[in-house]
Amino acid sequence: MAAQQGDVDELFDVKNAYYIGSYQQCINEAQKVKRKYAVVLDDIKTNSPPELQAVRMFAEYLSSQNKRDAIVADLDKKMAKSVDAANTTFLLMAGSIYYHEMNTDAALRTLHQGESLECMAMTIQVLLSLDRVDLARKELKKMQEQDEDATLTQLATAWVNIAVGGEKLQDAYYIFQEMSDKYSSTLLLLNGQAACYMAQNKWEEAEGVLQEALDKDSSHPETLINLIVLTQHMGKAPEVTSRYLSQLKDAHRAHPFLKDYLAKENEFDRLVMQYAPTATA
Amino acid sequence: MLTKFETKSARVKGLSFHPKRPWVLASLHNGVIQLWDYRMCTLIDKFDEHDGPVRGIDFHKQQPLFVSGGDDYKIKVWNYKLRRCLFTLLGHLDYIRTTFFHHEYPWILSASDDQTIRIWNWQSRTCVCVLTGHNHYVMCAQFHPSEDLVVSASLDQTVRVWDISGLRKKNLSPGAVETEVRGISGVDLFGASDAVVKHVLEGHDRGVNWAAFHPSMPLIVSGADDRQVKIWRMNESKAWELDTCRGHYNNVSCAVFHPRQELILSNSEDKSIRVWDMSKRTGVQTFRRDHDRFWVLGAHPNLNLFAAGHDSGMIVFKLERERPAYAVHGNMLYYVKDRFLRQLDFNSSKDTAVMQLRSGSKFPVFSMSYNPAENAVLLCTRATNLENSTYDLYSIPKESDSQNPDAPEGKRSSGLTAVWVARNRFAVLDRMHSLLIKNLKNEIVKKVQVPSCEEIFYAGTGSLLLRDADGVTLFDVQQKRSLATVKIAKVKYVVWSADTSHVALLAKHAIMICNRKLESLCNIHENIRVKSGAWDESGVFIYTTSNHIKYALTSGDHGIIRTLDLPIYVTRVRGNSVYCLDRECRPRVLTIDPTEYRFKLALVNRKYDEVLHMVRNAKLVGQSIIAYLQKKGYPEVALHFVKDEKTRFSLALECGNIEVALEAAKALDERSCWERLGEAALLQGHHQVVEMCYQRTKNFDKLTFLYLITGNLAKLRKMMKIAEIRKDMSGHYQAALYLGDVTERVRILKNCGQKSLAYLTAATHGLDEEAEALKETFDPEKETVPEVDPNAQLLQPPPPINPLDTNWPLLTVSKGFFEGAIAAKGKAGQMAADLDMDAPGGEGWGDDAELQLDEDGFMDAQEGLGDEGVGREEGGGWEVEEDLDLPPELDLPAGAGGGAEDGFFVPPTKGMSPTQMWCNNSQLPVDHILAGSFETAMRLLHDQVGVVNFGPYKSLFMQTLSRGRTCYLGLPSLPCLRSHPQRNWKDCGAKQGLPAVGLRLSDLISRLQQCYQLTTSGRFEEAVERFRVILLSVPLLVVDNKQEIAEAQQLITICREYIVGLTMETERKKLPKDTLDQQKRLCEMAAYFTHCNLQPVHMVLVLRTALNLFFKLRNFKTAAGFARRLLELGPKPDVAQQTRKILAACEKTLTDAHQLNYDPHNPFDLCAASFVPLYRGRPVEKCPLSGACYSPPYKGQICRVTQVTEIGKDVIGLRVSPLQFR
Repeated sequence: MAAQQGDVDELFDVKNAYYIGSYQQCINEAQKVKRKYAVVLDDIKTNSPPELQAVRMFAEYLSSQNKRDAIVADLDKKMAKSVDAANTTFLLMAGSIYYHEMNTDAALRTLHQGESLECMAMTIQVLLSLDRVDLARKELKKMQEQDEDATLTQLATAWVNIAVGGEKLQDAYYIFQEMSDKYSSTLLLLNGQAACYMAQNKWEEAEGVLQEALDKDSSHPETLINLIVLTQHMGKAPEVTSRYLSQLKDAHRAHPFLKDYLAKENEFDRLVMQYAPTATA
Repeated sequence: MLTKFETKSARVKGLSFHPKRPWVLASLHNGVIQLWDYRMCTLIDKFDEHDGPVRGIDFHKQQPLFVSGGDDYKIKVWNYKLRRCLFTLLGHLDYIRTTFFHHEYPWILSASDDQTIRIWNWQSRTCVCVLTGHNHYVMCAQFHPSEDLVVSASLDQTVRVWDISGLRKKNLSPGAVETEVRGISGVDLFGASDAVVKHVLEGHDRGVNWAAFHPSMPLIVSGADDRQVKIWRMNESKAWELDTCRGHYNNVSCAVFHPRQELILSNSEDKSIRVWDMSKRTGVQTFRRDHDRFWVLGAHPNLNLFAAGHDSGMIVFKLERERPAYAVHGNMLYYVKDRFLRQLDFNSSKDTAVMQLRSGSKFPVFSMSYNPAENAVLLCTRATNLENSTYDLYSIPKESDSQNPDAPEGKRSSGLTAVWVARNRFAVLDRMHSLLIKNLKNEIVKKVQVPSCEEIFYAGTGSLLLRDADGVTLFDVQQKRSLATVKIAKVKYVVWSADTSHVALLAKHAIMICNRKLESLCNIHENIRVKSGAWDESGVFIYTTSNHIKYALTSGDHGIIRTLDLPIYVTRVRGNSVYCLDRECRPRVLTIDPTEYRFKLALVNRKYDEVLHMVRNAKLVGQSIIAYLQKKGYPEVALHFVKDEKTRFSLALECGNIEVALEAAKALDERSCWERLGEAALLQGHHQVVEMCYQRTKNFDKLTFLYLITGNLAKLRKMMKIAEIRKDMSGHYQAALYLGDVTERVRILKNCGQKSLAYLTAATHGLDEEAEALKETFDPEKETVPEVDPNAQLLQPPPPINPLDTNWPLLTVSKGFFEGAIAAKGKAGQMAADLDMDAPGGEGWGDDAELQLDEDGFMDAQEGLGDEGVGREEGGGWEVEEDLDLPPELDLPAGAGGGAEDGFFVPPTKGMSPTQMWCNNSQLPVDHILAGSFETAMRLLHDQVGVVNFGPYKSLFMQTLSRGRTCYLGLPSLPCLRSHPQRNWKDCGAKQGLPAVGLRLSDLISRLQQCYQLTTSGRFEEAVERFRVILLSVPLLVVDNKQEIAEAQQLITICREYIVGLTMETERKKLPKDTLDQQKRLCEMAAYFTHCNLQPVHMVLVLRTALNLFFKLRNFKTAAGFARRLLELGPKPDVAQQTRKILAACEKTLTDAHQLNYDPHNPFDLCAASFVPLYRGRPVEKCPLSGACYSPPYKGQICRVTQVTEIGKDVIGLRVSPLQFR
């Protein structure tokens, strides 16, 4: 994905900022690099059309709801043929689309072909969403063997640690904390910290972190979801929780959380029918 | 060796430390005695009266005296305060080698080349004893520090020990003066009896240059021209040679015992100082000079300090650092003391030894780096030869017995410095000055190429500060690149602020404060050594030098807070307390007055309210503050410190505050002030003040002009009058000119004899009459009537359109904080009066307040109930049985994952999510809801408390569900990951998890308050709704103990009572009251309401309603009963009074007019549907959740109270704790 120039990775800041969710900084850095390392970019251009196509495909998928089926079908076709395993970007993008489609089998199968840290990280994420912590740990070990100190490895370690729970939660927290110390605190890192705190039932601490996240972006869906959890656990009035919920409903209808939520509401309504009093007044 | 101070001078032959002050005396070969302050590194004084070299020098322990002895055969006693020689003792016949005071008696001991040792009384200024026996030059003679002994060294190759107890007895017994006189006259005759040789130590085979007693043991050390240092031991009867230290290769000049350690120091003409281990008799350290032979050594009596005199000056040094190694994290201080790592809790002052360090290094720990995440420390040890330095990595034991702490196995490697760079990584600067990154196993993870560097410091996660010869570089370890560099020579310590936004770089004599990006914010130079520092919570850097605690603001302002006797090492600053370690590694807390720097900080941060508060409340006056404020551009603040009117006046002018300046000027009433004020006021267009100033200074010209330009014609005319009276022709005329008053002008001209001008003026302005009259007066022979210019134009000033009465308008500048605050102070009195007027109006309000008070009281009681034991961990026993069916499910996918290694990828099956585990692990409904398993949750609620109508539970279910999972983001653009908070996360392992409930009994209890308030304010329907939510929430609790289970039940009861009562009351209000029967029914319901179990506040209201209704119905007997019950509750006085009145009225006719279905004496339950009493013993059906009672026909219907449960349903019962399943 990036050109390695000897020992020093010139795109380090860009990638880093991207991984920890500091997108604005990522763009700034990228522009900086562009100016300085136009050569590197040119390099990418000449040999990268398939990669850029893959990115385009994913972007298209995310942007237009109605084209999704077509894109997925197209992707299925491509995957059926042999795929250039060196084209990490393509694998990643394909993996992302399958993951969005909840087709975890296909996602994993796709990602399995790549050997980059990015592919492995995404594999871990998919495995975690399948509650396969055991396999995620194995994958993580591979990542750690490749480069233990890489930002991506660190982040993946944190994800796995959260899933493992117990004492590992504190480790996960430290990873997020360290990154925000080192670079800057982002919504991604803050919500990671909050998740660790909440998993440890440290509600007051989580409140501080989430408040910071809320100050950065008042309609960030994950922050809102975490606040919904938090406010209830802190025993705040139900109205406070409802406010965050309606805020979420207003701004992020398509968020998986809400999809689940609505499904559950329907389920509830259905189940209610199964009960009735023996006598009516 | 750490050199603290060096001087350059002629050869130093004698040295003496002051016991208390940081002073050292050096006597020189050229006859001069120097007094140095080795801490400030300054020469304090010079005493130049000896002729030729001065070899003997000694401070007195208590008096401001010192004694010197020189080659001029003279012993001189000096007073350093008076800065002169007090007297000279004569008697020796050759060079004097040493002179010493006795620690107790008024004696001086001198050794001379005349082969004698003499003891002098410096009070009587006489020689009291002469010790003869040496048969060559006596090079040195010293008193024993506690006993009546003297040791002397001579070129006759012997060391002698003398007993002087006889002298003491003789001299210090009564009548000593006479014997003293005799003693002197009879030196030769009786000297032997006063001081006798006790031991003669023979062993050196050349002349002995120095001999000294050990401070506490019966040991003597000597140094001689045979290049040896010898240790001797003695007892009452004999003395013998213990051992010899060989190593010097030229004459040993001097040898002393280390006052506190088992060491001997010696120096020699071989240009070296050597340190010997006393017990092993081996050389430990050698310090060499290139060109200078050493002549003398001095040890400080209390401190770890030595001085050595050589050919071209002297050095003050210590053998090792005394800085304790320490690290601070949060409220914990970690420090090394003796062989232990200790931990001090700043808050509780609890100081414990947490672990014992591995022994083996002869050097003390140099520095420490603490890792809070892993509870690990890196301890660096510096060897004399830097290349042999090592560090140890220890993991601090979690629990430790402070008396006998564990000694965990550390990992030791070589390296100059080791510093944490991340939770599980540390950086090591190795002896090749390259940087290694290691993990917790002390394995090298990577090597990093760094710019040349000689020391590394902590700089937050992933970064380091690298020090090279002339600067410090911020280096990113992961990216392997330098981020910033700042120039500062030889940084020794680095102190980060708590939020790592600032860093203080401490060098020997300089402090630089930088921000996170290593941009220099300020630079402070210190003349004295900078020792340590810490950031206080407001962002002020508090640091210590050898003798001061000082502060520095990031703006560069710095100053002294207090002085110190001995150096300390600041560990933390909080408020007025400076926590520190002293050189004995004792934690101490010093109190400081932070007012000055807080004040300056508040000024810099423009927090003027704080400034004002301090101005008013702290004793912050003084010229320095005023000067500071003026210098820093805060004259308006300074104004408030100043009482002196003159300063006040100039400050007011400086900040343009005319009002204050005017006040001051009035008080001063000096011409110069008025003038200056006038100028300033004119600039601001404040012409009323200008006018006043001109009036005060009687500056009529300017005043007139002022009136002209402001168009004040009346006053201008007045000025004209004044000018006339003052006979100021020119002024008078000018005013007339300004006014355009021609007649007046003519008159003036006429009066002053300017006839022709007067005529011309008159003629030109067409005052013909006047002109004619004037023309008459002309003497035609002598004078000519001037021609009137026919083209002359009238010179008339334009009339003012509008006289300017007010001052020039000023821009509305928001009043400075200080002016406002000061002004407000004056008005405060009025405001207080206003308040008083308001006060009586608030009585109605006071009523409510009382009500609230009652409720608060209740709330407290409830909180007390709820606070106990919430959130305790559950016993694991019960859950264990539940997970039997888990393992097979887990095994299967694991096998599938393994298959992937064959190359053919088999996607794994879905694993077991924590929520599934929750369902397996619990029978409590809420756990199932949290897990999202509504179906099972409903079944549980149905079976346990008989819920059949789940509609009202929807929002509770959804809310509960939504708090069961948190989110965190994985890779960008991918859906987020979920985490599931668990209440037993600490020890649940992979399969025993139970969800964090998030609904607490105490929260529910506190929600009752709202319901009570709604009840009080009469909003019954809302109240019922809320009570019901609480009631429905109770089955969704998880509690830990029996008491809480009981409380949960109690909570249900409270809700039920209120719901029943309030529903009935709402119902009652809807009923018609036209007929008697209807009224009777109303009364009955009101009466039943009084049997609901309510809070006293509410019961008062209910009883009053019932009382009124029954009184109106003339059912006086029952009414009286209500009245009595009401009075028992202790209502407010006015209510009580009224009730008593009604009661009295009732008691007159204690009968009931009507028969009601209400018997207060027969206990009953109330049917929650029909609101009729169900007297005891009659059949009753109950709600399985709320326990509300119903008459049998209602069985099977929905409970009116809960609206979810079936009346009379057979159920298991409320289950809110795993305890209930055992």
